[in-house]
Amino acid sequence: MIVVKDLRKTFKLSRQQRREIKVEPGSKGDGTVDAVAGVSFTCRPGRIFSLLGPNGAGKTTTLRMIATLLKPSSGSIEVAGIDVVKNPQEVRRRLGFLTGTTKLYDRLNANELVKYYADLHGMERSTFDKRKEELFTLLGMNDFAKRRIGKLSTGMRQKVSIVRTMIHDPEIIVFDEPTVGLDVVTAKNIIDLIRRCKEQGKTVIFSTHIMGEVSLLSDDMAIIHNGKLVFSGAYADFARQMKGRSIEEEFIRLLEGAPQ
Amino acid sequence: MKTILTVFKKELIDSLRDRRTLVAMVFVPLVLFPIMISISSSMLISHARKAQEKVLKVGVVTNGGAKAFVEMLSSRGDVKLFEGLLVAEGTALVRSDSLDAFVVFDAGFEEKVAGHGAGPVALYYKSAESSSIERRRVRDLLDTYEETLRRSRFESLSLDVSIVDAIDVSEQNLASTKERLAEEIGGFLPYLIIIFCFTGSMYPAIDLAAGEKERGTLETLLTSPAGRLEILLGKFGVVVLTGVASALVSIFGMYIGIRQSPEIPPEVLNAVLGMLEFGSIALLISLLLPLSIFFAALLLSLSIFAKSFKEAQSTITPLMVFIIVPAFIGLMPGMTLDSKTALIPILNVSLATKAIIAGSISPGVLIEVYVSLVVLAALGIWGCAWIFNREDTIFRGA
Repeated sequence: MIVVKDLRKTFKLSRQQRREIKVEPGSKGDGTVDAVAGVSFTCRPGRIFSLLGPNGAGKTTTLRMIATLLKPSSGSIEVAGIDVVKNPQEVRRRLGFLTGTTKLYDRLNANELVKYYADLHGMERSTFDKRKEELFTLLGMNDFAKRRIGKLSTGMRQKVSIVRTMIHDPEIIVFDEPTVGLDVVTAKNIIDLIRRCKEQGKTVIFSTHIMGEVSLLSDDMAIIHNGKLVFSGAYADFARQMKGRSIEEEFIRLLEGAPQ
Repeated sequence: MKTILTVFKKELIDSLRDRRTLVAMVFVPLVLFPIMISISSSMLISHARKAQEKVLKVGVVTNGGAKAFVEMLSSRGDVKLFEGLLVAEGTALVRSDSLDAFVVFDAGFEEKVAGHGAGPVALYYKSAESSSIERRRVRDLLDTYEETLRRSRFESLSLDVSIVDAIDVSEQNLASTKERLAEEIGGFLPYLIIIFCFTGSMYPAIDLAAGEKERGTLETLLTSPAGRLEILLGKFGVVVLTGVASALVSIFGMYIGIRQSPEIPPEVLNAVLGMLEFGSIALLISLLLPLSIFFAALLLSLSIFAKSFKEAQSTITPLMVFIIVPAFIGLMPGMTLDSKTALIPILNVSLATKAIIAGSISPGVLIEVYVSLVVLAALGIWGCAWIFNREDTIFRGA
């Protein structure tokens, strides 16, 4: 379960940014900008929550705060009942984080990389061996487990990334635009993974700007624009009250109607 | 601690598999360096030997005098004599390197000598170096000639030639060969150690911070339960280790280089090997460690701040000047370790190393060097941790 309440993140603009960006959405004229401005939502276990928004809407900043990479300026986030500011390390123990832009360590092989993350999570050897065996077999990775990551194809790397995220069996999984830049076949690995997480009763939040993925996966969704929520609720409700002819149209309609 | 070790182990494997780190840490100091020493020392020695052994072409204008000098030259196998030249011709030949030297005895030379005066002689030569071996050889010939003239002059006056010596100084240099060599070449060793310590840690530092940021792996690493300080210290350990290792490998490379040069006289070789004894090396490492920590902090801070591998590289490369200059000042003659220089970072290591290999380090100043280095290293780690904990640094450019 992830509970986000009135979340806000303010960034200080650098001198150069202040010169370059005179009128920035969220800019308050005091040299700061609100990347996230009062966002609240709840992600429940066994349901997929998608965070939808155009580039620069505040999706990544929100997810980074959930993953304890950034500290909220105000508001609160509870992950599995734990406050992200008070006990970030405990939150990270229960969390898997996968972004589409992350690369891996080219000079390690898949075995070494997965072991590294397992060690960082303090996993017992026997639990690790069992879990690794399970995941490697599931994704068909045993053939290239000992090959250096630098020599693997994009699809193979994506599988290594998935195992890296899932090795410690996290109860909460954060996906930040996980399919960006992937072909359909490789993206399917991620879609399957998200579905599997749901079946296992995990809490899943993923950000995207691909509408197809939203209709395919979402149980709940939120649309974020200029750091503010434009919609938050069940996907079924969104589809039911849609005024546009397609999700894309409805999405654009909501963004255009949103206060700047 | 376990997490620090996990990060350290992974980063070490990762760095050792990086060709750039290996080249900077092992190949350059261990292979290139001995070859360079070998080539440059044998070139120097063979150049000196050639100058010593070659037949000197000497032009002489006697103006009717200095017959004994001409006879002396013609009787020698290592001198080819050219006579009958005009002064203008002779000097032109020296300028065009056709003659090694041109000696012109003044027309009144014999008369001056006979009257117990000093006979004027002009010596023309061409050399950019003041210690040119060719000039020295011709000077020696003229000195020998002067000595025979002096002897015959004293004989004609029935005097003992030794009366010109009013005092008889016997010089005894009590400095050991080790001390003399430490002063002459000892400055070079710390210079190299400091440079190699810095360049050895450079690539791992860039790769482990800026490289990790550029690849986006830092973000995922930070979502693991490992604390930021633990991650930083793990990386730190690898950068420090590669720095110290490069410096040690460079000492070893120098040792091999010296060993391989057959031209080096045995007493010099023994003195150099004496410098590299266990005690000196242990002291050196104890100096290298805090220095390397300081370098690691400096490099990692800049590297973490940079957006990419390339940006880190272009920020760090100019920094080399600030390392080379104080290290180089330590090479200057007359620079010694005292309570003031002991506080100047890098220069203090350079001078302390020189004193250690000369065996003349005083404990008080050495402690001062340690304190200064440890304070600097601690400040470095603190600064680096501060930078690593800042959100705007970690996500700068992301």
